[in-house]
Amino acid sequence: MIPVRCFSCGKVVAAGWEEFKKRTEAGEDKGAVLDDLGITRYCCRRMLLSHIEMIDVISPYQ
Amino acid sequence: MEIDIIELSERSAKFILSDVDTSVANGIRRAMIADVPNLAIEWLELYDNTSVLYDEQLGLRLALVPLTMHPDYVPESECTCNGEGCPSCTLNLRLDAKGPKTVYSGDIFSSDPNVRPADDNIPIVELKEGQNIMLGAIAHVGYGRDHVRWQAGVACGYKNMPDVIIENCDGCGHCIDECPRHIIEIKNDEAYISPENMIKCSLCRLCERACSLKPPAIQVSYDPRSFVFTYESDGSYSAKDLVLKAADVIENRAGKMAEILDKI
Ligand SMILES: [Zn+2]
Ligand SMILES: [Zn+2]
Repeated sequence: MIPVRCFSCGKVVAAGWEEFKKRTEAGEDKGAVLDDLGITRYCCRRMLLSHIEMIDVISPYQ
Repeated sequence: MEIDIIELSERSAKFILSDVDTSVANGIRRAMIADVPNLAIEWLELYDNTSVLYDEQLGLRLALVPLTMHPDYVPESECTCNGEGCPSCTLNLRLDAKGPKTVYSGDIFSSDPNVRPADDNIPIVELKEGQNIMLGAIAHVGYGRDHVRWQAGVACGYKNMPDVIIENCDGCGHCIDECPRHIIEIKNDEAYISPENMIKCSLCRLCERACSLKPPAIQVSYDPRSFVFTYESDGSYSAKDLVLKAADVIENRAGKMAEILDKI
């Protein structure tokens, strides 16, 4: 799951995750979407850019 | 002390604080991060958790969800109940969910209608078929100095008001190419920075180094008694209330300090 807050500054980044995922999967530019969401600092941007959802990988072994 | 507000929205603000020492500016910054009382989930009573997250992970995620702060709540240690737990220091919340479903912060049910998650769309956990969550949560008021869950101010910072002096410029334009903020332009064959652009200067001094003249025609300096302040709120307070609360905290402490000094 996406971390709730940015590790460095503490901003709540998870609130933008679903929209970020939906819009980038539709082919929009990642940087532009992040600007739109108001995630401007690079500490917060890397939280979304570098995130990989592992839940579907782990859940069969639950 | 003078305050000039540049931007003020619900969650973020930018203002110029002038005619004060660094200690005042830093005091406000630190108070916003560490000393503003805030509500956050501290304890969980887990009845059922068959999700992919461990109980502790789930607890951390829930704790980090900002709750809107209501001024009636006080920290347990300062409450009239002496830490036993009463409605003015303890808030009960509940979260029940059955998979398949993504659980969001908006699904958290708060027993006080005045307090609720500041954002409704924070994913807590994705539940698959047959996975359930059933828990009760207890939120307390705390301070950012003890744990991030209570930190209301986000990315609080300031810089000194930049003051770039340009003298005897030959208009070569090297500094224009070098400036990472793109704020220098040519006016009357001389480098020029407009007053509204001056505030964007990051005081990096790359322009000084790029200048071909010796000594450089462009010199970066700053006003030591003027600060450009930027901060964001996590949603528990509005940006305006956050800085006011921080000022209250400092005032309170200064009052206590005066009391102690009087007794000596
Ligand atoms: Zn950040
Ligand atoms: Zn109490």
